[in-house]
Amino acid sequence: MRPIRPIAVLMLLLLQASVLAAQDRRLGERLDPGTAAAVQRLVDSAHATGLPTEPLVQKALEGKTMGASAERIQEAVGALLDRLVHARDALGPDAGQAELTAGASALRAGLAPASLRQLHALRTGSSLAVPISVLTDLVVQGLPPDEATREVLDLARNGRSDDEFVALRRRMEERLRTTDSGAPP
Amino acid sequence: MSMTPDTGLERDDDLLHRVVTELRRPVALDPALDTRVLDVIRSGGQRRPGRSMPLAGAALAAGVLLALLVGKAGAPAGTREVRLRLSAPSSSYVSVVGDFNDWNPAGTPLRPTGNPGVWTVELRLKPGRYHYAFLLDGRRWIRDPAEPPNAESDFGTPTSVLTVS
Repeated sequence: MRPIRPIAVLMLLLLQASVLAAQDRRLGERLDPGTAAAVQRLVDSAHATGLPTEPLVQKALEGKTMGASAERIQEAVGALLDRLVHARDALGPDAGQAELTAGASALRAGLAPASLRQLHALRTGSSLAVPISVLTDLVVQGLPPDEATREVLDLARNGRSDDEFVALRRRMEERLRTTDSGAPP
Repeated sequence: MSMTPDTGLERDDDLLHRVVTELRRPVALDPALDTRVLDVIRSGGQRRPGRSMPLAGAALAAGVLLALLVGKAGAPAGTREVRLRLSAPSSSYVSVVGDFNDWNPAGTPLRPTGNPGVWTVELRLKPGRYHYAFLLDGRRWIRDPAEPPNAESDFGTPTSVLTVS
């Protein structure tokens, strides 16, 4: 036996182990094999293009826990992948997982990619995850997108902290509640 | 959600960081190792008893040390404590399910507080945006009325959004 052979076998085993490690164990454990494979392909696609994969896995697990059909789970994961792509287009190639996840939520809520670009341009050097998340929450709760964007951009322009964005959301929520109840603001 | 950072854990975090760094350092192998491994294979794989015991003991000790340090630190670095509360007077079991626990219905139960019907739980989360819902008695989903609704509830069950700053 030539000495190279055991080494080649060992390398093959190591290579196989590294490929298996890239597959998400949770998908195989919680989803049926067909759905797990379909979602894994979307996860692989995200990984290959440098997008975060964890939000996709979580979306699939959410669907499973909520009793959604295999088709609906794949559709939801695919749609989230699309939104992550568009979020990165708006936020730039250096955006982190939390920022892209928040950006995808913002787009789903109906915010324009231009709002994300403006925020990105104003708040350099700090994470955009919390400002984008607050902006999304304000719109989902009924604040007009233009007004919500203006309020959040004002804070970003003045270099405010994440906690101050969260405080803005609390103030706006209180205002919306007062308006809904008919009481004077 | 605005929370106060845990500054008291900095010393433990630093120690933990140094231990992890040390464990991640690449191991320098003896260049003659390949030759010795091949010799063992050629000889039919017979191992001399006792040679691997020191290595196994060292690995075990390292694992125990790391486990103790993680246990002592108590919380992963860069996380914040978030407390959730829910009033569910007619429920006998409440859990919170979300993308912080892999949507595991049994993963994070709430406990009753001193106020009848009020349930609570503390989570340690990194800054970010989380989606979740409460599960009452293992069968009824409700979203957290104290936090904003989630626009990405794709599966017909309302969920909430938790923003940790």
